[in-house]
Amino acid sequence: MSQAVENTAPAVAAAVRPSSALTRSLIGGLVTSLPVLAIGLAILNFAPTYYTYLALGAFVNLIVVVGLQVFMGNSNIANLGHSAFVGLGAYGVAILSTPLAMKKLSIPNAPFGFATLQLDPVSSALIALIVVGIIAAVSGKVISRLSGVAATIVSLALLIIVHSVFLNWTDLFKGNQAFFGIPKVVGLPWMLVFSVVVIVLARLFKDSRWGLQLRASAQSPQAAAALGIDAKKLRLMSWVLSALICGLAGVLYAYFAGTISPKLFYFQMIFNTLAMLILGGMATVTGAVTGVIMLSIGLEFIRSIESGVTIGSIQLPQLLGLSGVALGVVIVLCMAFRPSGISGRYELDELLSRFLRRNAK
Amino acid sequence: MDYALQQLLNALAFGAEYSLVALGLAVVFSIMGLVNFAHGEIIGVSAYSVFLAAALGLTSPFVAVLLAVAAAALAAVAFERVAFRPVRYAPTTTGLLTAFGVSIVVQNLFMLLISPKPQSVSILNGLNQMWFFGPFAVSSLQVMELIVSGLTILALVLFLNRSTLGLAIRAASRDFATVRLMGIRANRVIATAFAISGALAGIAAVFIIARRGSVSPDLGFGLVLKAFVACVIGGFGSLAGAAAGGMLLGFIEVGLLVALPQEYGGFKDALTYVIIVALLVYRPEGLLGQRVELGDKEI
Amino acid sequence: MLTVDNLVVRYGAVSAVRDLSMKVGRGELVALLGPNGAGKSSTINALTGLVTPASGRIVLDGQDISRVRTEDRIRAGLTSTPEGRHIFANLTVGENLRLGAATRRDPKGVRGDIERFLALFPVLSERYGQAAGTLSGGEQQMLAIARSLMSRPKLLLLDEPSLGLAPKIVVQIFDFIGELKREGLTLLVVEQNAKQALRFADRVYVVSAGTLRYEGPPAELADEHGLFNLYIGG
Repeated sequence: MSQAVENTAPAVAAAVRPSSALTRSLIGGLVTSLPVLAIGLAILNFAPTYYTYLALGAFVNLIVVVGLQVFMGNSNIANLGHSAFVGLGAYGVAILSTPLAMKKLSIPNAPFGFATLQLDPVSSALIALIVVGIIAAVSGKVISRLSGVAATIVSLALLIIVHSVFLNWTDLFKGNQAFFGIPKVVGLPWMLVFSVVVIVLARLFKDSRWGLQLRASAQSPQAAAALGIDAKKLRLMSWVLSALICGLAGVLYAYFAGTISPKLFYFQMIFNTLAMLILGGMATVTGAVTGVIMLSIGLEFIRSIESGVTIGSIQLPQLLGLSGVALGVVIVLCMAFRPSGISGRYELDELLSRFLRRNAK
Repeated sequence: MDYALQQLLNALAFGAEYSLVALGLAVVFSIMGLVNFAHGEIIGVSAYSVFLAAALGLTSPFVAVLLAVAAAALAAVAFERVAFRPVRYAPTTTGLLTAFGVSIVVQNLFMLLISPKPQSVSILNGLNQMWFFGPFAVSSLQVMELIVSGLTILALVLFLNRSTLGLAIRAASRDFATVRLMGIRANRVIATAFAISGALAGIAAVFIIARRGSVSPDLGFGLVLKAFVACVIGGFGSLAGAAAGGMLLGFIEVGLLVALPQEYGGFKDALTYVIIVALLVYRPEGLLGQRVELGDKEI
Repeated sequence: MLTVDNLVVRYGAVSAVRDLSMKVGRGELVALLGPNGAGKSSTINALTGLVTPASGRIVLDGQDISRVRTEDRIRAGLTSTPEGRHIFANLTVGENLRLGAATRRDPKGVRGDIERFLALFPVLSERYGQAAGTLSGGEQQMLAIARSLMSRPKLLLLDEPSLGLAPKIVVQIFDFIGELKREGLTLLVVEQNAKQALRFADRVYVVSAGTLRYEGPPAELADEHGLFNLYIGG
């Protein structure tokens, strides 16, 4: 087959046929992130500041959804608690890197001497991620042992536990009030960089032998076990990787917004990101990207109606709940009519190479 | 002594409520493999029905109770017909996510069509009184909750063991295709299961309204999460497990309330879940669940 | 009693059953034989309604049931005992029997029938309150057949009653099947185990690779070479 391609395909197709699976995956990840890069660079260079702010929020969602895809897409288990890790990442850097003067106002009674500690953003991020990783490893140990449904419900329990801690351990997390004063060190450029990194990482995992084996055992547990595949270990791996990516999203959010509160990392984020992943397609990283782009635009539009628009001379009333209804309807319709989402089974680069190959004949 | 009795009653009453809701979830899951996240919204529909009826002039608590149960049963059957039937034979995750989506839609519809703010419902307040037995003062609501839950579970057990449809529901939890071979219509079995599930939720809704005196869009959501956790810890898919898990959850919660010092009261929920998860580590299949291995034959 | 005309069953592009026609007369025991993959199961599924045939007609006691839903075929008089028994493992023996009578409206008659079967099968009587999943293979097969009989079928379709059972038990099962025939029940038995199936059969159909290879009395088939050729023949 490779002979046929070399003889009849244009140079592009031949050049796109890489030597090893790793390279192919790497290139695939980069290709998948091209739309993201394109949109990001366009916004960076041409859009007014308001859109930059919106875009930053969308990019955070993107990273969260990609993180979600790493676990859900490969293990076929619904994860309904990932915003806990986003919150942990965000609060981690908030506690560590907020300037001392701010901390004295916010969390003067912080335990373990955190009120007197201030680290630079990079170290804070690394430590926060390590903490996320540890919590992910512990929770993952439990979850990987459970059947699909029980695992989902425990992921919910995890979310509630973490949220409850954020709300109630006021000495450290400032409870219900906004935790402000986090150094705003991340702008669109860094967000873009990390988005691309995360997308490539997700692809690499998906196409790696671990990702493949995990998907195999999700499809046919018995056959996979007979082949010696340790599904539990693989689920744990994807859970931790997923959590780290979500934690990174939290870190980046804190660093761009400068202010966080527990409400942000609870069910609203779950609904949004879950709907994005389902709409785009759980099975592929491209799906994650597609879903985020489509729903970010769609939700913005609906939200503007929700808050009461004026069409001509008619003032429409506030329609609180409209975006929620839209989200839910998206999920239900998708599951009923196209459970594999918009992008289905194929990644963007796979679709492109099929297209090129077909045209080459 | 008095305090201990009161707490015992608390634990039993909460446990009973969780059991009712958990049973509703388990009935549906056991025959269809559907994790019905929209179950909480059935409680919500029931509660909002009572609210609307009261707003429209209803004054009889008796009618309100009947309305709550009927509305819940109807809502459950409607959800199944509209949203769950298309995904009936789909994998578990698909059904779970569909139910999640329905839950989001309905919660937001409450916000959109009625109000995001809690609305007061006082029609059932009469159920929530203090009764005096000699030196003891007990909440009438809790006593009623226990009695009603007990009777309901008894009725459910009788139905599942004596009636043809009940037998069919139990059989369907293992082998739906063969149930159809017996001449029993699949839709009938499923609709009945959902109606039962709804009725159980409706009964729980009555007690919730009586206790809180108000309704809000997320009324059912938090409760259903706890009910799910109860199902899991009891043994997912087993009806007895759901009831046992609900009771256990009630006792853990009240136990924590008693044990925790005042300032840590906010951690009650988190600690409850931590304990449950720890129990799951020890026994992943749940209290009454059976350890299923890949190579197991059907028993 | 049962007429199947030109049955065609396809799964996508693959034809599992090609132009199959057969008849089962009232009171007859007809055996449908053939190796694995011959199309027996597909024929059964078409008869029970679990699969919709691409074309063909199925007529039971004068009624065209080709379009009738699975759940309603039992009401039409066609009861099938599925391959692999499929007794309800988590229900008791008694509850299994009661579900078999789900379509009947005469509780007294149902109770009478249950007692009759318990008398017929002492072993089921012993295990009446036990979970059906704890019964042995042979006992489960007896239960499955008894359960089917609870619906007082006009035609009983037995799908591979010998499957997974020890030879001695198989003989017992077929003893019972012969007994049912003697009582006047119309039976269609689908089997891989030719020898036992041929004991009481009035007529035999042999199907291979989706088409009918032989139709006639069992006597002409009894010679092993003949059957062998039919099974393997192209």
